[in-house]
Amino acid sequence: MQRRRGLWLVFAVVLFGLAAWLMLSGQGEVEVAPPPTVAFPKRLRPEERQRMESRRTYVMPTVDSGTAADPKPLKPTDPVLAALPRGKGKTAMVIEANAIRHSPLGELLLECMMRRGGDDLERFKKETGVDPLKDLDRLVITDEGLIVSGNFGDKKLKDLLSGRGSTNYDYGDGARIFEPTFERNLSDGGTVRRDGPRVGLWNDQMLVFGRSPDGVKQVIDRVEGRGPDEPPVISESSTYGEMYGVVSVEQLKKMFPPDQQELALKLAEVAENVELHVDARSDFAMTAQVKGSNADKVTDLGKSLGGALSLARMRAQAEGEKELAQLLDFAKVNPDGEEFRLELAVPLEVIKEQLAFCREQRDSTASQDAKPQEAQPTP
Amino acid sequence: MSGVLGIAGYVLREAAARKFILAFLLGVTGVLVTLSLSLRIEVVDGALAASRLFGEVMDTNILAVDVALRPIFMAAAAIVFYGGILFGIVSCSDFAPSLLSPGRIEHLLALPLRRWHILAGTFLGVMTLAVCAALYGSLGLVLIFGVKTGYWTVGPIISALLACVSFAAVYAVMLTTATVIRSAALCAALGGLTMVAGIIAGYRAKIAPFIEEGLSRELFKAVTLLLPRLSSLAQASMDLAASAPLGVQSLSMLLAGVLVFGLGMLAVGFWWFEGRDY
Amino acid sequence: MPAIEVIGLRKTYRRAFRRQGHEALRGVDLSVPQGSAFGLIGPNGAGKTTFIKSILGIVQPSEGAVKVLGGSPEDPRIRARIGYLPERLHLPGSWSSPAFLATVARLKGLTPDKAANLRLLERVGLADALGRRIGGYSKGMRQRLGLAAALLGNPELLILDEPTDGIDPIGRVEVRRILQEEVQRGTTLFLNSHLLAETERVCDRIAILAEGKVLREGRLEELSRGGSRWVVRFAPGADAGALASAGFTAAGSEGVYHVEASDAAGLNAALDKARTAGALLVELKRDGQDLEAVLASAMGVAA
Repeated sequence: MQRRRGLWLVFAVVLFGLAAWLMLSGQGEVEVAPPPTVAFPKRLRPEERQRMESRRTYVMPTVDSGTAADPKPLKPTDPVLAALPRGKGKTAMVIEANAIRHSPLGELLLECMMRRGGDDLERFKKETGVDPLKDLDRLVITDEGLIVSGNFGDKKLKDLLSGRGSTNYDYGDGARIFEPTFERNLSDGGTVRRDGPRVGLWNDQMLVFGRSPDGVKQVIDRVEGRGPDEPPVISESSTYGEMYGVVSVEQLKKMFPPDQQELALKLAEVAENVELHVDARSDFAMTAQVKGSNADKVTDLGKSLGGALSLARMRAQAEGEKELAQLLDFAKVNPDGEEFRLELAVPLEVIKEQLAFCREQRDSTASQDAKPQEAQPTP
Repeated sequence: MSGVLGIAGYVLREAAARKFILAFLLGVTGVLVTLSLSLRIEVVDGALAASRLFGEVMDTNILAVDVALRPIFMAAAAIVFYGGILFGIVSCSDFAPSLLSPGRIEHLLALPLRRWHILAGTFLGVMTLAVCAALYGSLGLVLIFGVKTGYWTVGPIISALLACVSFAAVYAVMLTTATVIRSAALCAALGGLTMVAGIIAGYRAKIAPFIEEGLSRELFKAVTLLLPRLSSLAQASMDLAASAPLGVQSLSMLLAGVLVFGLGMLAVGFWWFEGRDY
Repeated sequence: MPAIEVIGLRKTYRRAFRRQGHEALRGVDLSVPQGSAFGLIGPNGAGKTTFIKSILGIVQPSEGAVKVLGGSPEDPRIRARIGYLPERLHLPGSWSSPAFLATVARLKGLTPDKAANLRLLERVGLADALGRRIGGYSKGMRQRLGLAAALLGNPELLILDEPTDGIDPIGRVEVRRILQEEVQRGTTLFLNSHLLAETERVCDRIAILAEGKVLREGRLEELSRGGSRWVVRFAPGADAGALASAGFTAAGSEGVYHVEASDAAGLNAALDKARTAGALLVELKRDGQDLEAVLASAMGVAA
């Protein structure tokens, strides 16, 4: 009886061994690689907060009308933010040159640029005294023009701008406005003069490019506290990411391909402003916050967008467009009351593949765009 | 063999008389009805809205709905799997201890049955109850999803069956516990512990690197080697429900392994029971 | 071939982590002939229930050999020929009695026979309670149902642990009748009872178990017989001295005397002497011990 009983124990041990082997082979030791996760920019990171605080360098001069009994001391502000356009319907995108430079994306871009025009860069450095790799801090693109912040104290730049028969004069407290004209010698011996962009140099740290002198002056006014009272389109708390800014609905409409006009119109109808943030520390991750006044419409728009994205992904998968499908794999819509957030990511690998042409084409055509594919709502 | 079936029938009859089956039916039906009334499938609206937006008749209609519903199916599969096992642990913990109670066990042991027939029959009876309840619940879910979304899937049923195999392993532990110490509470506790251990074992490759190198890690790997990989089965059922590729190499081997673990545990129970005095 | 044969049976219950176990049986030798009605009596804690469990394979002996119906109790085929009524029988409260009998019959491997089950229930006196749930039965009714379950399949050996426990006196008569019928059919009866009067009436062989050992064992008459002593009762007014010279010793109660006589002639001679002395005989019977006295004397306690 004891022997009979002992058989059960032997049986049990054998079964446990069999089970372990089955489960081990069934599960497979090699784990399927976890899908890459992307960190979307959603709020100020500590280093960004520090960056933001360190930029509050400029105290706007107050206009003392003599009525205030006890004038409050003004807190220092960030001059570049002050320079931004004010009010609704304006576009302003800030590109943090420093941050991008140190990201894999920036390195790729740089590589691209160097390979395409390494000598151009050197020449640029010699002529202007500005080293794009070191002296540029931020680049802001607005509807009116361009604002570049950095270190522009080099005399060569001033000489370049003031040379060639251009006018230049002081404006405001710390700015100098240049209106360069460019000459070109024609083959028949004559010269052509052409007006260049209007440039304002403020405090040796900000370059403002505009189409007209008034535009440039307006920007300088805003910096020095003479602008309208509305807050700038980008607030301090929104300065996270390597690229960030606000896109007006009109501009956004233009970015949609022609066969998506219905969605574009819907967007125009519902959205008041669209805030974009891009994180390029590893992969390219973008969030777009769409705010509107009507919560229902906004939610509806969000749903439509979400549906459109998943459908697009389905189609991409069905048609075998792996990259597009991969890109859309990371597309997500998060509704939240009166706004919704669209998240989109492009894995670094995809960008590398796209930029691979750089290495192949040394003499590229001038129209090639070095920037990575901007994520757009795709068909 | 007839002894095993006889005891299984005894257990089922007992369950019916104790209104167990009625309780199962009411409980599962209640959950299904609640789910059916309160489920609002927003994602469907979104995908269908998109289809309306584009204004074209889509050939891939079902596919789009399928994609949109994936998260819901995955969630349903997970709930069926883990919820089902938990429910089984709590509700079935008393069968074995009551069968082994004094007055009853002596009577059974005096019958012309081999001792292991009694345990095996109990196991079979309880598993029959579990499988029936699981199938009923999952069929209900399939119906709800089908009627609500127009998309019919066997995901919940597969999940329920995978959960049954997992429950078999868990219940084997509970039954063996009852032969050692006759306590429903202890059986339920050990059943829960087995479930947690099974979840950890499924993720052993991911957890192992977090454990200090050396003896502890080796011990962890050795112990989890033997335990049933319940979370892998849960993940497989979720993947199947979402028509995603399976993360495991071979589901059938994994399933067989968990089942064989249960049988091994039963064999331990038989061994102990054969030598036990009542 | 004896129905039950036990040689040197020992059982020690060991608890984990304790050196000293409880010795329930310390070497029991017993033989129960086939067709007999055997009663096991003894004080509480003597090991009677352990003994019964040992011969059924419910408890495994620490030492010794057990043979039941010519085979080992571990063999299911042997157990198929045994009917057992446990001491604390647990019956499923929500079933009906025919359902319970049907299930037990099925587990015993018998072909389902509803009619036979009903007859059995009638036999044990449960014909009126067929529709009711077992949970509503009285103690006596449960005992009868247990007995019915033990009788399923016409077993060769009936092992009953306290069969009339909780049954009223009238009921006990019926149960006794059933048991006697079974014995007459050739079934071996082995029962264990505290009710010594019941045991006396049903059994023909007795064993006394105390502290894990068999103290006395044998036929009932032999055990309870006091030898050649007679008890006589004379009408009041008998001459004590004359009776004493005739060989009668006073028994204590008024008019009750003992007399030793090895055969009928000696008895009648003594009686004639008493009657010529003027004593009027009212009652005469053999002086036998009842079971309680047997038990007490076996235990060494003064009656």
